[in-house]
Amino acid sequence: MNDRIAGRSAAPGSVPDDLELAFLRALAERRISRRQLLETAARLGPVAAIAPILAACGGGATPQPSVAAPSVAPTTASVPPSVTPSVEPTPVPSPEAELNVYNWDAYIGEDTVAKFTAATGIKVHYDKFETAEGMLAKIRTDGKGAGFDICYPTSVDVPALVSEGVVQPLKLDLIPNAANLGTQWQNPGYDPGNKNSMPYMWWTTGFCWDGDKIKEDLTSWESLWNPAYKGKLEMLDDIRETFAVAAFRLGLDPNTKSEADLDRMAQLLEEQKPLVRTYTTADIDVMNQHQVHIAHAWSGDVYQMYDDVPNVKYVIPSEGAVRGSDTMVVLSGAPHPIAANAWINFNLDAKISAGNTNFIGYMGPNAAAMEFINKEILEDPTVNPDIALLDKLVELLDLGPDLDKYTQRWNALRA
Amino acid sequence: MTAGAARTADPPAAALVVRRSLRVRARDKAGAVALILPGVAWLAVFFLVPLLIIRIFSLGTKDAAGHVVLDHLGLQNYAQATRPEYLPAFANSLRYAAITTILSIALGYPIAYWISRYGGERKVLLLILVMLPFWTSYLIRTYAWMFILRDNGVLNGILQATGLISEPLTLLNTDLSVILGMTYGFLPFAILPLFVSIDRLDQNLVQAARDLYASGRGAFLHVTLPLTMPGIVAASLLTFIPAIGDYVTPDLLGGAQTTTIAKIVQVLFTSGRDWPYGSALGFLLMVITLGGTLIALRTLRRETFA
Repeated sequence: MNDRIAGRSAAPGSVPDDLELAFLRALAERRISRRQLLETAARLGPVAAIAPILAACGGGATPQPSVAAPSVAPTTASVPPSVTPSVEPTPVPSPEAELNVYNWDAYIGEDTVAKFTAATGIKVHYDKFETAEGMLAKIRTDGKGAGFDICYPTSVDVPALVSEGVVQPLKLDLIPNAANLGTQWQNPGYDPGNKNSMPYMWWTTGFCWDGDKIKEDLTSWESLWNPAYKGKLEMLDDIRETFAVAAFRLGLDPNTKSEADLDRMAQLLEEQKPLVRTYTTADIDVMNQHQVHIAHAWSGDVYQMYDDVPNVKYVIPSEGAVRGSDTMVVLSGAPHPIAANAWINFNLDAKISAGNTNFIGYMGPNAAAMEFINKEILEDPTVNPDIALLDKLVELLDLGPDLDKYTQRWNALRA
Repeated sequence: MTAGAARTADPPAAALVVRRSLRVRARDKAGAVALILPGVAWLAVFFLVPLLIIRIFSLGTKDAAGHVVLDHLGLQNYAQATRPEYLPAFANSLRYAAITTILSIALGYPIAYWISRYGGERKVLLLILVMLPFWTSYLIRTYAWMFILRDNGVLNGILQATGLISEPLTLLNTDLSVILGMTYGFLPFAILPLFVSIDRLDQNLVQAARDLYASGRGAFLHVTLPLTMPGIVAASLLTFIPAIGDYVTPDLLGGAQTTTIAKIVQVLFTSGRDWPYGSALGFLLMVITLGGTLIALRTLRRETFA
């Protein structure tokens, strides 16, 4: 479906299509859905809902150079909100009056857009996408972003977008809040120095299981090859993620370009295939509906299974795992580049970033934001694993033309 | 002057009538051309041009960023597309389409027959009922099948409540769920042409067969069935051709073991970022479908109408 069904666009106002999109969101998407969000918000209680507001009103002693005061005089502000005098360059250009943002649905704090508009006077047109592939296809149509200013690609796609010229370099002097990033996010492999992209939220990819059905404590990827789980096992319908699992089991590099390595990985996945019930990105749905008992899954998604599978367990397997992040980029054809950089700076603000995390349940890379993040999230090792562990995880890198080696074997596996 | 005299006295008038009728005919012809022109232009732009683009893409290559490159056109993508690894996916597509077609005809023929013979004044209403599912998006109806078939779904719930089974049956993500979903989806496409051909059948011919001592079964087999064969052929084509390229149903209702060629093409166009290769596979599938259809039509026509 997703991607399935990627790139479907609904005629505005047509009821069946809207329903269709709602279904897609609820069932086929790996991001949090609106319904799940409401439930999450209800479970976390009113504290979660008003936390960002409280945080915003708090003011007080907070680390520099991070905190925007969203209540500060709106409309005519000609300076991006959290620019501190110490880093302010000679004249800061005035941001444009509007901004076109293109993001995953329900992947931002509830009131982030309103606060941004209140703080800067910039009117935000906020569009949402259903699948990464659909989004990538759209911003590539004219090679410069299809009229959007801001987009949220996954880190692995950033190098290609940069080399194709779909995104433009960031104006780092307009983004002083980049200093809020944790050290491990200051110089990522996919974009050294964050010159073209800023990390937004991150996750790990491990596997989860229903503790009511599987009593053991699982720690190894081997469990996904256990014949006892035949027909009750899901693997992600994601070429790189699934090959990475085979690579970890074999002790190989998940970014390998070696044909011999890839043959071994494909062979291992071929052995696993008879056990697999479905390859899908709807990991939340297959677990919540109890279609499977054990599933290759994204950490943020596990956070959204607690309601339906109260005993769900998640592990970052001992052999290693993938960590990934979504980024914010400015598109090369952006009609409002200054406003776009101001948007990125605003979202890197400690309290705004924490507000985003508190609402969607994904951890951000913002070290300054940690003190404003809800305890439930911080203490949940699924969404927020030990930082030492995080360093051992692998980032998937863009393979360029060598991706074909994966695609070819993946199709042969699936056929 | 009488009219007759006028006619003989004025021979050029007759010629004028002829000329005028020729002119009218020419004008009609121009009118007809004007009428079909938009349709032809529409097909040319929205059917032939995309087909041509796919054909050209399929001969191209791609650069490191995944863009289509048309510098050196060649058949290398077709050589890859016919790799033996993909045969199971081709076979799945063919198998699902064939079974769906057979089931749709087998289920649809009695329905169409009944509506035509016994529908009476309610025929139109009954036909609307056949088409009723189209009022809801196909995607939503496919999701409804997921609700019915999954482990804790409606069907398993009923079976368990009645004590027929103790453990839920694995229905979703199997061959069974794909075939059920596809047959459900394509059944109306089979019923409509079957209805038309059964409804057009002159019942006097069946009556005559009965008068000549044919049994009810004999009359059906030797009169009704052969005379409605064009409807069966049309229904088969309308079911089989879209079924073989169906992507949504196998993807949503299928599982790890039910991959069809449409899924492979989708992977190539999206995460694989290899449009030339995907185009070649898509084009190949179209050629196979077209070839199979032509052969089937020719064989059937020889048998049916010879």
